[in-house]
Amino acid sequence: MTGSERVSASPSTSPLRIVGDVTVGFPASRTGYGQATYGNTQPQTERATWIAVWPDGSVTAYAGKVEYGQNIRTGLAIEVADELRVGLDDVEVVLGDTDRVPWDMGTFGSQSTARVGWQLRKAAATAREAILALASDRLDLPASDLEASAGQVRPKADPSRGISYADLLAGQSIEREISERPAVFGPSEFTLMGRAQRQRVDALDRVTGRAVYSQDVLPAGVLYASILRPPAYGARPTRIDLSAAERMPGVARVVDEGDLIAVLGESDEAAALGARAAVIDWQLREGQPSRFDMPALLVESGVDGYAVQEAGDLDEGFRAASSVIESTYYIPYIAPAPMEPRAAVAVWEGDRLTVWAGTQRPFGIRQELAAAFGIEESRVRVIAPEIGGGFGAKSPYGLAIEAARLAKVAGRPVRVAFTRGEETMWSNFRPAAIVRIKSGFDAHGRITAWQSDAYHSGERVMIGRRGADTPYDVPHVRSLVYRSDSPLPSGSYRSLGAAVNHFARETHMDEIAEAAGLDPVELRLRNLSHPRFRRVLETAASDFGWSGPRLGEGRGAGIALGIDVGSYVATAVEVSVAGRDVRVHRVQASLDCGLVVNPEGALNQMEGSIVMGLGGTLFEASDFEDGRLLNAGFARYRVPRIVDTPRIDVRFVGDDTDPSTGAGEPGLVPLSAAVTGAVWGATGVRHRELPVTRHL
Amino acid sequence: MTITLNVNGARREAAHGERNLLSFLRFDLGLTGTKYGCGEGLCGACTVLVDGQALRSCMTTVGAVAGGEVTTIEGLSPGTSVEDLHPVQRAFVEEQAMQCGYCIPGFIMGAVGLLNRRPDASAGEIREALAEHMCRCGTYQRIAAAVERAASGEGAS
Repeated sequence: MTGSERVSASPSTSPLRIVGDVTVGFPASRTGYGQATYGNTQPQTERATWIAVWPDGSVTAYAGKVEYGQNIRTGLAIEVADELRVGLDDVEVVLGDTDRVPWDMGTFGSQSTARVGWQLRKAAATAREAILALASDRLDLPASDLEASAGQVRPKADPSRGISYADLLAGQSIEREISERPAVFGPSEFTLMGRAQRQRVDALDRVTGRAVYSQDVLPAGVLYASILRPPAYGARPTRIDLSAAERMPGVARVVDEGDLIAVLGESDEAAALGARAAVIDWQLREGQPSRFDMPALLVESGVDGYAVQEAGDLDEGFRAASSVIESTYYIPYIAPAPMEPRAAVAVWEGDRLTVWAGTQRPFGIRQELAAAFGIEESRVRVIAPEIGGGFGAKSPYGLAIEAARLAKVAGRPVRVAFTRGEETMWSNFRPAAIVRIKSGFDAHGRITAWQSDAYHSGERVMIGRRGADTPYDVPHVRSLVYRSDSPLPSGSYRSLGAAVNHFARETHMDEIAEAAGLDPVELRLRNLSHPRFRRVLETAASDFGWSGPRLGEGRGAGIALGIDVGSYVATAVEVSVAGRDVRVHRVQASLDCGLVVNPEGALNQMEGSIVMGLGGTLFEASDFEDGRLLNAGFARYRVPRIVDTPRIDVRFVGDDTDPSTGAGEPGLVPLSAAVTGAVWGATGVRHRELPVTRHL
Repeated sequence: MTITLNVNGARREAAHGERNLLSFLRFDLGLTGTKYGCGEGLCGACTVLVDGQALRSCMTTVGAVAGGEVTTIEGLSPGTSVEDLHPVQRAFVEEQAMQCGYCIPGFIMGAVGLLNRRPDASAGEIREALAEHMCRCGTYQRIAAAVERAASGEGAS
């Protein structure tokens, strides 16, 4: 069966379908960030088809996640192919199309392999069992005497009598519920999982430019929208005159709906020139805080202190200490800045709406569209094509509604696409934060008391709480997380607040080590009993060749550990500092994320998250005053480049009998503290504010 | 006044010479493999070749390249299989030098432009030449390895 035939075929026409419930699509059992933030997103159907096996034995797997660089299309295909015992090329994975895939809350929190991958493994194992049952009937042998391999079922005693899946499925129409306890393979039986793959399944499309992103969707007759957006947060139009814009050549129409002012052109150029001819007076909102107000604002406006961790009695812990130190850490807002600015294209056919949107939440956006137009969700289809990065920024996707509103007015397809400046300004930023930590420890460097107060900007409390607890063995501990005012829109960012909280905690551990006269690795090990934490730390230190922070001649080494999305991670780095120039020369990380399904994919994610983490550590900070973003474009917002990239080595140390946990985010969490620890080793200066290069 | 230019070996017409080259390629010709990333020539996603040299199409007009031969990612190779890819494309596949992939066509065109000038470019020259390209997913280590592989002729067929 060709790809295009499969694309057009409904799974209901396939001879073998595996169905199951969609609750796996909740990020974490109806809890966690997704539930707290997007819990209004509810499934319309409880069950869905997860796998279809076609008459020729080829397989389609359906998942509500989206592909925005994590390479889950390859990872999920590996899991399905291995459990079904077909070739990787025989499996197609359909993602992110609300008409075709199981409901899903959204692609965030590194849940794709951990939850959806497991669901698809069970579905594929169920399909294999169904096929074995067919063969058992045909060959009059018990299923236990048969084995599946390379798209065939063979008697173990006589492998030459193989029957192909296609043969077995001819004329069938079987629907099976995913077995609660299907016979999924164990690590010793894997043929694809955990093994290096030659290439990604979507590699060819990516290197030939054929991969289609939301920016690339151009249906016939599409109108290009230029939306006249406020020049500053909180600005309101006081006068709108679109008469000159309307007369510009190539302008199809102008739209003024108060909260949506747009020029629709027959080309991008006509729309842009039309928008330039629009006259709008804006009233700015006065008295908005600037970046310089942030540290004080965070603390003064902090409310709802929530105990992420509380045990023992702090007073007793501090009394037992021979030393007490206290430090404050500040992390500014940073921008996700994905390479693809968001775009959306809307097409109405009667009261049926299709929107292409490169969003992390196609089902959430479908629900928002249905609500905006008062129509049933079944009338709305949201298609998330390839997505050019997201990192949390593409969970909110207001452009989809703008495009649909404009398309309805115009009676034609409409494309709304952000410029780089719009993408940055109308994004959500990683929250700014202040973290205060007071610790007490004895003469042996054993921590007796740990008091942490973290103030993260923004309403979404789950962001600041992530990673705010300490993994060290502290008898008396209280970690509170407060919610503070946010002058900039703040929201999801890769690892949420975990990288921020880890920076404060792990830097503080280095400060304890310094005060106690201990090596940073030794100090950590003295306070760490959890074997998985100890293993990642000891592996990273050993692989790195750890010999302490001070390497001499302007060089230093740093190390830190952490946990995120269920995965244990430790990272060691070497830097050199010369004047204001900080160079990270090498990074050695170890990750325990349980079973690694696709080693090259997980490695790529670790490398990428480390590079991304270098940006926020060394260069990045979003500046603002009077409601204006001062560094929206790449000219003033410095992100890591190829010349900033160190040698990165990663070792996976998890057990393949442990369930898979996330690999996309953990790389970020220990990185900042490892780098600032190395800068201390090189210079003797302790950096408690990021980014480092602003404070040299 | 219409203007004609050569794109991927075919003669194409633009409505006027001031037309932005990136918009012309993407919206008028439907060659969407060339990407918009910043519109300021800072990220490299829009890189194409003009007479074999890498150029930021977002900062260029059609008129400025009218006499030249424009090559986009779509024109670099037939691309029907890994075997018939350009060596630089193939090296990106082999090194799995991609994540979201949005920046990759620009990187590939930038690397081809470099290797046209310097077929045996060193690792340092490669990094320097690609310093003005951005990959927010952070796949730089693999990108560098891919271009080094292509420059050395390793794996080329």
